[in-house]
Amino acid sequence: MASHRGRSSARGHGRSRGWRGRGEGSGRGAGPSPSPPSSSTSSFSAAGATAADSGGEAPPIVGTCPDMCPARERAQRERLRDLAVFERVGGDPVRTSPSLAVKKFCRTISSTSVQASDIRPLPVLRETMDYILHLLDSSGNKFEIIHDFIFDRTRSVRQDLSIQNIVNDQAIQIYEDVIKFHILSHQRLARSCQDSDASSLCYLNMEQLMKCLLSLFDMYNMIHKNNSHSNKETEYYSFYVLLHLGFKIPKMVDSLSLWYSNLSAPIIQSKEMVFARTILRCYHLGNFKRFFCTIAAEATDLQLCLLEPFLNEARVRALMYFNHSGYKLQLHPLRHLSEILMVEELELETLCKLCGLEISKNEDIKAFSPKQASFCLPASIPQYNGIYISRENQI
Amino acid sequence: MAPYLSMGEAHRRIADYLSRVADSISSSDGAALASLLAVSSAPPSTPLSDALSAFPDFPRLAADRYPHLSDLLPTLLRAIHSHSLIRFADAYSSFEKAANAFLQEFRNWETPWAMEAMHTVALEIRLLAEKADRELATSGKNPDKLQAAGSFLMKVFGALAVKGPKRIGALYVTCQLFKIYFRLGTVHLCRSVIRSIETARNFDFEDFPVKDKVTYMYYTGRLEVFNENFLVADQKLTYALMHCNPQYGANLRRILKFLVPVKLSIGVLPRITLLERYNLLEYADVVTSLKRGDLRLLRQALERHEDQFLKSGVYLVLEKLELQVYQRLVKKIHIIQRLKEPAKAHQIKLEVVVKALKWLEIDMDVDEVECIMACLIYKNLIKGYFAHKSKVLVLSKQDPFPKLNGKPV
Repeated sequence: MASHRGRSSARGHGRSRGWRGRGEGSGRGAGPSPSPPSSSTSSFSAAGATAADSGGEAPPIVGTCPDMCPARERAQRERLRDLAVFERVGGDPVRTSPSLAVKKFCRTISSTSVQASDIRPLPVLRETMDYILHLLDSSGNKFEIIHDFIFDRTRSVRQDLSIQNIVNDQAIQIYEDVIKFHILSHQRLARSCQDSDASSLCYLNMEQLMKCLLSLFDMYNMIHKNNSHSNKETEYYSFYVLLHLGFKIPKMVDSLSLWYSNLSAPIIQSKEMVFARTILRCYHLGNFKRFFCTIAAEATDLQLCLLEPFLNEARVRALMYFNHSGYKLQLHPLRHLSEILMVEELELETLCKLCGLEISKNEDIKAFSPKQASFCLPASIPQYNGIYISRENQI
Repeated sequence: MAPYLSMGEAHRRIADYLSRVADSISSSDGAALASLLAVSSAPPSTPLSDALSAFPDFPRLAADRYPHLSDLLPTLLRAIHSHSLIRFADAYSSFEKAANAFLQEFRNWETPWAMEAMHTVALEIRLLAEKADRELATSGKNPDKLQAAGSFLMKVFGALAVKGPKRIGALYVTCQLFKIYFRLGTVHLCRSVIRSIETARNFDFEDFPVKDKVTYMYYTGRLEVFNENFLVADQKLTYALMHCNPQYGANLRRILKFLVPVKLSIGVLPRITLLERYNLLEYADVVTSLKRGDLRLLRQALERHEDQFLKSGVYLVLEKLELQVYQRLVKKIHIIQRLKEPAKAHQIKLEVVVKALKWLEIDMDVDEVECIMACLIYKNLIKGYFAHKSKVLVLSKQDPFPKLNGKPV
């Protein structure tokens, strides 16, 4: 695959005039919407971009910066002592290097004042992504710090892509990798922190995940016009469906029905989409057994990561239904529920207690008796581990 | 191709058209002006378009003769000319310029005499934009004319959303905007016009013409269907149905296409004869499945018409009917048991439900059935409780299967 330094291989083909990733173009977030497939300029105008708005726009800038961080910014941040932990040479707060510094996200950028030497071309952006993402495996730092750094620096990568108006396979690959990071973060943040700081981190992560996902869908639409596809796209489309499982999703402007009405049949009928639609249906019908079984059997790794923080919410809802509808004189053993809800008995017990359900213990069998008026949905539900299948039930 | 036309005759026809336009303006004849602006419905060859082909200097003729209308008339003629040559993208571009010029004039006229003409312009710009976009798409270019038409119509809306008699025309333009946004899939853009119509003090909804109100309620009703606000959707679509001219069968069908799923969601079933009369047979099996408690039939119907239902946005609405179908199935089991052994009829073994589903070729184990029963009870589709250990559903003796009574589940 030929790629020339300083030139995007998308020039003239597969690039649509006026595309701007959501929230990246001028650094201002915009209310995203998942459609339309036919026109790319709506997300563009939503991002409130400047000079390129009307006809007669200048051709988009082509970046020439050869490093992960422009030299100018490196020098400036050394002076201002504004270097992240990962960027410091030998831990020195005022020294960085081209192999450690990564360009920061800049909120107030305007496309008229930007210089080509500050923008990284596509091959450099790819190298930057590979470098940033390998930090995910690093230990010795709290996850929140790693997350924060990757969050910001990938946002800057997306910004460079959108200023240069690059829409092609490699750009799509970058977006897919960014989304993968946000999903993995979503799972890890939910697992490791229970306090309010973390929950705002979770929210911001989710917000960025949504923005990326919607930008990615715009890009998919554009390459579809040239009869090209990403081989991961059906999975990524399915993420949007899964996000409707009761997360408090920021800015879900349009309904799922509307979104489906603009999707093509091959995508809707793909394996990953059918999976997502099936478990949504099971959830709404209260068929928790099939909900969990299907997830255990068919979810891809990333789908599971995305779902994991939601699973306890589903289990609590099941407890609510069972408590409401059960026979108060017949105990409901936790063992049974832990099987169909695929959760460890101890964890289930904790969930019950969180909901105000009293557990009785009779000869080693823990159970609860339904119709407890003390039941209430907890305000925040902890997430531990995802799908648990007890030894006896494993095939 | 047109038969031979002399330059003199061509010149005469063009001058005649121009003078009719100018006269209608100077005599404030809105109806006459409107009919002269209907560019897109013209066939490729009309006496006027033939004349324009034969007399290429028509823009200068128009500008010289009517300098005070020099922004409007030359571009209008260009639009007619391009349209007759089947060059729709060009026709659109010229018409958009003419439309902008017309809007300028319209703003300056104090009375709403030209409203009919303004509406014609609104309709024509949308129709031309659709033709233009089709042309652009087939030649591999970016179809952006319909979106541009939307921007223009927003300007028109702005000119009408004012105090005074012009505001009556705003709903028509709103409906044109809805049609554009629905066609483009940018339905979220409807929100701002809706807000203007429904909250601005300039508008009293009752004052608008009935046909505009019907169209408005149809589209806003459809938006409510997308958002699954069934009660509001019912109100709006029913309004549209009630006030729609009964002669417009196609429009009635369009309304019913969305009203039927909404009614089903609140427990109201249409007669099959209605579905037959309006050719909405895709819903027939859905209705039957609700009457019979036949889950397999519902699923088959959803599968068979999946594409169509997804495209129109009613799929998820119909999918959610599954709970009502379960309710009906359990009710049937209860009725059968009451006939066989009335004393114990209110107790239904979960295994019996499993068997009934198996008979419908649906594979569900007793745990799944228990989950679903728990859900049905929670959502008040069944009154009673289930005993986990005995695996029995115990129905309340009184009204164990409450009707929805017009409320969604």
